[in-house]
Amino acid sequence: MFVIVSYDISEDKRRNKIHSILSSYGQWMQYSLFECNLSKTEYAKLRSRLNKIIDSQTDSIRFYFLCGCCQNKIERIGGEVVRDDTFFLVE
Amino acid sequence: MGTIYITQEYNSFIGKSDERLTVKANKKTLLDIPLIKIDGLVIMGQATMSPDIIKELLDRKIPLSFVTATGKYRGCLQPELSKNILIRKAQWLAAGETEISIHLVKGFVRGKLKNYRHLLMRRRREYPELNLDAGINKLEQAILPIDLTNKIDSLRGLEGAGSAAYFGCFNQLIQNPNFKFKSRVRRPPTDPVNSLLSLGYSLLRHDVQSAVNIVGFDPYLGYLHYQRYGRPSLALDLMEEFRPLIVDAMVLNAINKNLLTPNEFNSEPISNAVSLTKEGLKIFLRLYEQKKQSKFKHPVLKRQCTYQEAFEIQARLMGKYLMQETDKYPPLILK
Repeated sequence: MFVIVSYDISEDKRRNKIHSILSSYGQWMQYSLFECNLSKTEYAKLRSRLNKIIDSQTDSIRFYFLCGCCQNKIERIGGEVVRDDTFFLVE
Repeated sequence: MGTIYITQEYNSFIGKSDERLTVKANKKTLLDIPLIKIDGLVIMGQATMSPDIIKELLDRKIPLSFVTATGKYRGCLQPELSKNILIRKAQWLAAGETEISIHLVKGFVRGKLKNYRHLLMRRRREYPELNLDAGINKLEQAILPIDLTNKIDSLRGLEGAGSAAYFGCFNQLIQNPNFKFKSRVRRPPTDPVNSLLSLGYSLLRHDVQSAVNIVGFDPYLGYLHYQRYGRPSLALDLMEEFRPLIVDAMVLNAINKNLLTPNEFNSEPISNAVSLTKEGLKIFLRLYEQKKQSKFKHPVLKRQCTYQEAFEIQARLMGKYLMQETDKYPPLILK
């Protein structure tokens, strides 16, 4: 499933942690916004990891799910290029 | 899901941060990729690895192979052998000249030769002026007796004859005046075409061997290939049907479409070994990866899959046959 994760975290240290965890599951697109293509288990893991860290009084994280036909409708002007996940070359 | 190729020669360091694999060199981060997106790691240059990432690769069963820049396979990091002892027992019980092993060898040889024949026939349709009839006839003569032959040595003979017929007309498949193919030369390959084939087969071996490992086989006990110290015979067996489909097709594509030119090759003075330059290697790896990720309809499962998935599918089909859950092993034959 394709998830768009956006977050609002008040404290710098916690925000960095959240950023690092999300980087392990998807691609950073903009300030406090990630795009992740995950299986159900991966999503559950991500959610529980994030859940442990945030302070629910002050922070919020939102997950938006895109259906298969909506994934192709993402448009972009400038900013991060979508990573090609099929081939990585280090030289 | 993708494969990482590391061609950086010096000072690269593979580490782990959170659940990501990072590659650093000269204090710069070259790569930072989630481990869930990785399904293979091939080191062609030199790299140091942190203990953490080794542990993580083993836990996640992500195959790691060491291959030289010229394509010689050096070894791999192997996760704990699968706990499925039953499949290994079935594999060992079938060793030698048994009904099961003969059936499998027939499958491997038939798969390889039929794929060779389809490749030649497609070329003949596209370029009717080529003189491929003799080669196709010889291949057919090698394919026909497969079902009636019940000795592994004779099947090996048919495989040899078929391959010889195929490589005999391989030069005609090359539509680029800059490249020539005389015969198959290995260890070391002394012309560009052979060096591409060798490199391609090495990469293919990395993929097939990991599939064989994941399913839980002992990769060193094969049926078509003789047992030899340190030779992963089963991986080589299973590789046969994929050779023409993946490597040969993509090497021909690269040459005929001029994606690689003679400038992309180096020759060593004494051994005459020919290898790709760094630029060429990059092009070749990308083409190989594209080929592996391309989709086709699996003739047995009747659904779309990539070649990458097909390695494991074929290994599992072989497992099912060995465990006597099915009565046939169907090699992957594509028209």
